[in-house]
Amino acid sequence: MLSRTEGIVLRSSVFGEADLIVTYLTTDYGLVKVFAKSPRKMKSRFGSSLEPFTYSKISFIGKEDANLPRLTQSDIITPFYALRDDYNSFVSLCEILELLMHFLPERDPNAGMFSLLHKLLSKIRPGEGNELYYLYCKVRFLGLAGYLPKLDACGRCSKQTLEGAGGRFYVSHGALICDACKTDGAAAITLSQSALRFYLSFMKWNFSNIDRVKAPAPLVSEIAGLIDAHIKYIMSRPLKTAAFNGGKGPLKR
Amino acid sequence: MSQGIIDELINNLTKLPGIGRKTAQRLAFYILSMPAEEARAMAAAIIDVKEKALFCSVCFNITDSDPCDICSSTTRDKGRVCVVEEPSNILAVERTRSFDGMYHVLLGALSPIDGITPDRLKINELVERVKAGGIQEVIMATNPNTKGEVTARYITEVLKPFGITISRIAYGLPIGSDIEFADEVTLTKALEGRREV
Repeated sequence: MLSRTEGIVLRSSVFGEADLIVTYLTTDYGLVKVFAKSPRKMKSRFGSSLEPFTYSKISFIGKEDANLPRLTQSDIITPFYALRDDYNSFVSLCEILELLMHFLPERDPNAGMFSLLHKLLSKIRPGEGNELYYLYCKVRFLGLAGYLPKLDACGRCSKQTLEGAGGRFYVSHGALICDACKTDGAAAITLSQSALRFYLSFMKWNFSNIDRVKAPAPLVSEIAGLIDAHIKYIMSRPLKTAAFNGGKGPLKR
Repeated sequence: MSQGIIDELINNLTKLPGIGRKTAQRLAFYILSMPAEEARAMAAAIIDVKEKALFCSVCFNITDSDPCDICSSTTRDKGRVCVVEEPSNILAVERTRSFDGMYHVLLGALSPIDGITPDRLKINELVERVKAGGIQEVIMATNPNTKGEVTARYITEVLKPFGITISRIAYGLPIGSDIEFADEVTLTKALEGRREV
């Protein structure tokens, strides 16, 4: 059966001599892995269309439940190649892609995730500070996958008095826990009152307006640290891309 | 003759990349028809390459003597180093006969999503070579794909403080192809890298 859709390349893995296995996030089929024959050869008709972040119109052929359908066509809509050319943007976006591939099941369309990833790729400007966009997307992706950390109320008693007070985020609960419900011995991250306030209002913003948010860097890194610890706990390991220091300076060696 | 030994040869040949069962069968019967000394030489070459091949301690090319022929050559230009991802890339560059400098093999390319970090490649060794002096130019000949590009950019940043010339091989259209069939990115890069004639 021939399937046609639009998709964004998340990853291309070398397979055999000149072939690739390409992971797409598509509009109609969700996460799909396809087999591309000989794209690494100089005269391949696929050209650069299988490089990460490329948004293209694709066709693939295979049985409906085939694990690895064969890619027959890939026409670039937007290459987003400037994002690949900038080391820091590339590393930060790889973190988002890794997150997506970990949490999204294959062949389960998710319009929200696709739309958010496409918006992110369109919005990022190489060489500029884009931390808020990455943070926003990470949190939204966690939300869409059902792993959103609970920071608006106590994770146990749902008491909503935490906003003004900051609090302790219990990684094993994925939530803030109030003093009355706290567990001794469990690992917790202290969250400042201003960081909590910032997070709760930040998440009410629309993606398209994020460039208007002016947040102090320490607040952003406090929330980012909490989110990374939450992701690490859920995945039972840190993101592989974390070893690249989140793209903050290429010289981490 | 027992069919077992032929089957075993076929099974072993199918382990090679790009060799399916049918091709393996054809190769096995060709080997069977070869003169005994040719077959022996082939088998010996396979064993030799496994037993004697080692990485050159200078450039990390695959060789049977350390340092390799290229690194120990007295006629090559030691001031220029071409950085490649894999030893097989050296063969491709050497085929051009247009480069007479030295090489440095990284043994891979950076890939954040696969967790391939700089310390897993031979980047520190390249820095040490540059630090030792005598190198005026480093030519980044990593693959023209995302991983190769990221690796080239990373190494460029690392080598910048040494004040040497760092160049990147050109992007463009393959000779013999047609502009009509080129994709946007390749053509954009070719236009960006155009030169006066």
